[in-house]
Amino acid sequence: MFHKSFIRRQLTRSRQQTVVFVLCVVLSMVTLIALDSFSRSVNESMLMDARTLHAGDIIIHSHYDFSPTLDDAVGSLVKQGLIQAARVYDLYSVVRTAGDKDSLLVDLKIVEPGYPFYGAVELKSQRPLEKVLTQGNIIVEQGVLDRLHLQAGDTLNVGEATLMIADVVLHEPDRPVNFFSLGPRVFVSSRDLEALNLVQKGSRVDHLYLLKVQDPGNVDRLAAELRDVATPDRERVDTYRTAGSRIKRFFDNFLFFLDLIAIFTLLLAGIGIQSAVTAFLQEKEKTVAIMKAVGATNRFITLQFIVVLCLLGLAGTVLGVLLGFFLQNFLPFVFQGLLPQNIRTGISGWAVLKGFFLGVFAVAIFTSLPLYRLRDLKPAVIFRKEETGNRRGLPFYLTVLGVVLVFAAMILWQLRDVRIGLYFISGVGVLIALATLLSEAVLLSIRKRKIKSLPLRQAFKGLFRPRNATKAVIVTLTASLSVIFSITLLDKNLDANFIQSYPEDAPNVFFLDIQTSQLEAFSRELGIQAEYYPVVRGRIRSINGEPVDVAREWQRRGDNLAREFNLTYRDYLLKDEALLQGESLFRTGVEGVQVSVLDTFAEANGIKMGDRIAFNIQGVPLDTTVVSIRTRTKEFIQPFFYFVFQEKVLKAAPQTVFTAVRLPPREISAIQNRMVASFPNVSVIDLTETVQVFARILGKLSGITRFFTLFSIIAGVLILVSSVLATRFVRTQETVYFKILGARRSFILKVLTLENGILGLLSALIALLLSQAGSWTISRWIFDIAYHPFPLWSLLMIFSTLALVVAVGLVSSISILRQKPVIFLREQTEE
Amino acid sequence: MTILEAQQLTKTYRLGDREICVLDGVSVAVAEGEFLVIQGSSGSGKTTLLTLLSGLDKPTSGRILLEGIDITDFKEEELAPLRNTSIGFVFQSFHLVPSLTAIENVMFPAELRHDHDAEEKANILLRRVGLLDRAGNFPHQLSGGERQRVAICRALINNPKIVFADEPTGNLDSSNGKAILDLLLELQKERRATLILVTHSQEIARTSDRIIFLKDGRIAAHGLGSHQGGRDGFSEQHHVS
Amino acid sequence: MTKRLILLSLVLSTCLLVLGLGAHASGAGVLEAGSQRNTPKGEGVIVAMGNSLTAGYGISESEAYPALLQKQLAVDGYACRVVNAGISGETSSGALSRVQWILTLKPDIVILETGANDGFRGIDPVLVEKNIDETVRILHESGATVVLAGMQIVRNLGKEYTDAFNAIYPRVAQKHGVILIPFFLEGVAGEPELNQADTIHPTARGYEIITKTVYPYVVKAIEKRKAKGPQNP
Repeated sequence: MFHKSFIRRQLTRSRQQTVVFVLCVVLSMVTLIALDSFSRSVNESMLMDARTLHAGDIIIHSHYDFSPTLDDAVGSLVKQGLIQAARVYDLYSVVRTAGDKDSLLVDLKIVEPGYPFYGAVELKSQRPLEKVLTQGNIIVEQGVLDRLHLQAGDTLNVGEATLMIADVVLHEPDRPVNFFSLGPRVFVSSRDLEALNLVQKGSRVDHLYLLKVQDPGNVDRLAAELRDVATPDRERVDTYRTAGSRIKRFFDNFLFFLDLIAIFTLLLAGIGIQSAVTAFLQEKEKTVAIMKAVGATNRFITLQFIVVLCLLGLAGTVLGVLLGFFLQNFLPFVFQGLLPQNIRTGISGWAVLKGFFLGVFAVAIFTSLPLYRLRDLKPAVIFRKEETGNRRGLPFYLTVLGVVLVFAAMILWQLRDVRIGLYFISGVGVLIALATLLSEAVLLSIRKRKIKSLPLRQAFKGLFRPRNATKAVIVTLTASLSVIFSITLLDKNLDANFIQSYPEDAPNVFFLDIQTSQLEAFSRELGIQAEYYPVVRGRIRSINGEPVDVAREWQRRGDNLAREFNLTYRDYLLKDEALLQGESLFRTGVEGVQVSVLDTFAEANGIKMGDRIAFNIQGVPLDTTVVSIRTRTKEFIQPFFYFVFQEKVLKAAPQTVFTAVRLPPREISAIQNRMVASFPNVSVIDLTETVQVFARILGKLSGITRFFTLFSIIAGVLILVSSVLATRFVRTQETVYFKILGARRSFILKVLTLENGILGLLSALIALLLSQAGSWTISRWIFDIAYHPFPLWSLLMIFSTLALVVAVGLVSSISILRQKPVIFLREQTEE
Repeated sequence: MTILEAQQLTKTYRLGDREICVLDGVSVAVAEGEFLVIQGSSGSGKTTLLTLLSGLDKPTSGRILLEGIDITDFKEEELAPLRNTSIGFVFQSFHLVPSLTAIENVMFPAELRHDHDAEEKANILLRRVGLLDRAGNFPHQLSGGERQRVAICRALINNPKIVFADEPTGNLDSSNGKAILDLLLELQKERRATLILVTHSQEIARTSDRIIFLKDGRIAAHGLGSHQGGRDGFSEQHHVS
Repeated sequence: MTKRLILLSLVLSTCLLVLGLGAHASGAGVLEAGSQRNTPKGEGVIVAMGNSLTAGYGISESEAYPALLQKQLAVDGYACRVVNAGISGETSSGALSRVQWILTLKPDIVILETGANDGFRGIDPVLVEKNIDETVRILHESGATVVLAGMQIVRNLGKEYTDAFNAIYPRVAQKHGVILIPFFLEGVAGEPELNQADTIHPTARGYEIITKTVYPYVVKAIEKRKAKGPQNP
């Protein structure tokens, strides 16, 4: 059934089309493999990290001492040699210096030998933990020494024991799980547990059992066994896999986002494949017509071309895998700093298999339409020199529908989330519809224009030349550019809002519970210009007369209306606030109590201007009317308040004062000491570490995002190339005619450049319009940040698109330019 | 006076490992305003001769002089203005630019030389060939005869000294073909252009000033068309070499 | 999406910080506007001043002890209004700061429950005592009958600290001659069944026990006021 020599001939001719086709397949493969490997690596390292984060395979947690049944169960497993176990007690305690001169609240961690089973506690002396943490010794965080003016070798009274500070802890594997703590860390050996006499009835202690399972395959089974004997609701048995850390969830979300980009790239590559195959088969039309004329059946012809395309697809797949392996060495470089050191970025058989499957699938889907068209080809084509239009009957539309459905199914499979998958599909649909509509409108409007300059007019004419994929190219370019532009714009906006604004003025230290009477002295002592926020606590009784259902609200997982809210008062907007609705924060001449609501709260609870919110401020009812809705414009870490009242309303209410300031990290301990000495009731929270880590991760993430959007840019270029190839015949024809009619090379170049320029400019402009609108929407409603349109960047993006499109267009037209008229004419006449 | 002169034109092609000689030492001189017909069987080299004479292709050896100027070694860029103003082409398969309307196709050569009267001239020509009402149509909306008439208008808009026509009636039925040819000849007379025509048709050949008969890349015979009085096109035939 | 997540977590943590630590939020409540109305004849207004343990964190307002107390008093023929003036996360410094506000409620009896959040933050007992002493003094001098809820802080903080802390309440009560509930959370603290998952905040059943604990001292305060004769509100 296969015609070997025919297939060979098809493969060796039409080289450019086959190259583009293969490149599109390669691109989709590489994207899928790189992404899959990346996510697998992240997942693996996260699991490994999760082990480190929890310092064991199985973690049993309880606020109370473990029940004897559970204790026995663990004991018997240890005896059987199936597991190793270490107990950890985590509690706050007040430690005192010798002679009880100073005291400090610390976060005690009493550990049994063996802790941590995974990861390591890094000490300043670089010695291993078990060597240092012996009976009578403790290891403290630097903050303890700073706050109590001690040094290593000094003693500290912990509970009822006096212990020696043996070392300073630099890093603790399971620390990042808890973002902040009220006091610095102190490690104590479990051998001192009795002597401390801190873990007893009436103590508040987090009890932990860390288990290391000898045979990794047993983890889930053993955990299930232990869960069976654990006291329900009190003793929680987790494995490192099930104990979801915030970081894991964060990465899950990030990977999901990359998945979306990958799917988009796949879509673009698919369009590239389709357009390359169309161009490829166009060249074969005469051949196919002749084959039909001599009696070849549709079945036979289609089969031959399927074999041809399969071979090409296979070549692309193999190349893609090879390139993927090359990327393997490149990926760690890109992801450096984001992933833990121990991560292995490699390509898994699964990733290759999955990529292969998806790649083949994409090829099959996107080649089916052009292949289908072959069926309609009549042998009569041999005798005709001019093109005929394609008839589009029911079978054609059914095929289109099939392609769409299969692709949608593929997206759903890749995303594993039906709702978001459907959002994505409808999003892409809306995007394409908008791009089509806009480009159609623009094309229609320019088609009617009278243009004086001949090259420009000719360029415009070129856009409407028969069989030109102008509309398709503009739509695909617009769609891909919209996404790329949007990602860039969002990135810039997030950058401007967070990363850039961070180093200068984002606060890193919070002071809570300053009393009004202390305010003046506190502000003097702190000596830093700072905004002080009075905090009045109050609850919402009803909204527009509808009472808050307390029982139901507490069932809500997120924020709930039944909790106590922090209210504040001031008569002005903060630097980082803007009014969304209402002319001013408060109005004059309005009866009753006015309140200004933050937009996020208003949106979440459907609050509008003029709504009535009844508060209960510590026993005093306060009926208010919403007179303005505020939004936050800048720093995300600045404190914010849902409700702002006029000063006269709340000034007399019981309140504490809160402030957030930026302090040089090195001075924090000293300032903390000074402030706490003068104002012992004030609590200090130091967020420096957290904020820095977040800022760094944010920066890194945008790098990775850009790396993956690069793939979609490449896909866009390939689409462009393949569309040039698809219109190759008509372009060559025109060029030859122009030459015969006496046009110089410069004229032809001008027309080509202008034509591609118009194409690029149109797509870029429409894409910019769409992406500005989209980014604004996303910034405003999802990220909740102020939006900057970045006009310079927008211009730059348009110019780079223009340059890229013109360059790609010219490069892929070189052979057309070089075409000798006589040869083209001879071929036309002789055929 | 001689407007176009070919001296010892030879053209060889490589086809695989074979070398094929399509034209072998053809010399011909065309006088201003002459109507020259080139005839010959398929593969005799008549189209090749036309492309060489019109500067679309370069001869392997030999020279071509246009108005006494040797254009043999002209580069494409030097040939462009010649093609634009001095030469007009009419092809068997029309070769109209598909994205341009009839009038735009006609105007194009004039516009290339920044002729401000391009539209007016194109209108005059289209009216002359009876296609004014079809001016806004695209080539694919026109019949074969109409397309060829547009092509003729395009060939003539810059008042070229020479018009090359390669089987202009080959793709048309006989009545249409006759009409087109009559039109071409009329216009040629009106504008005093030189017409070099490749055709199979004996009937057309008879109306010419002179006939060159090609065989295997050589001029097998010269003949006189009806204008020279001879009823038989090959009455004065002789071998060149 | 990802960035949104970071954002959220940062916003959340900021939120939590603002809310105060230890005990975050409160859901239970204050009696309907009753606090401002005139008190029923002969009986009076009881203000339950305190932190989340009074406010009733995580449970319905009708399940927290002030509501239960009022119900119980009503059953026994006392038509008292008990105002829930609990603010979760409040320290003794906060209590001292808002004592004037409490007085605007014109209470006959104030049940003062404070200090636990100071304990959780390891705040110096000397400061805690100073605050409670001052708060009790102001309340007492205003003419209100003060019931001081004794608190025992979690023992993990260390013997020195807990001893110093626990001693505050009897000493202050004795100094001002006010009624002392020896331990507000008697029989509830440390009992897994009577506390929510955080081990700090009592469940509805826990509050039933707390009400039983508090009740006799409140009755004692009511009787004490009766003995002293009618007061001007």
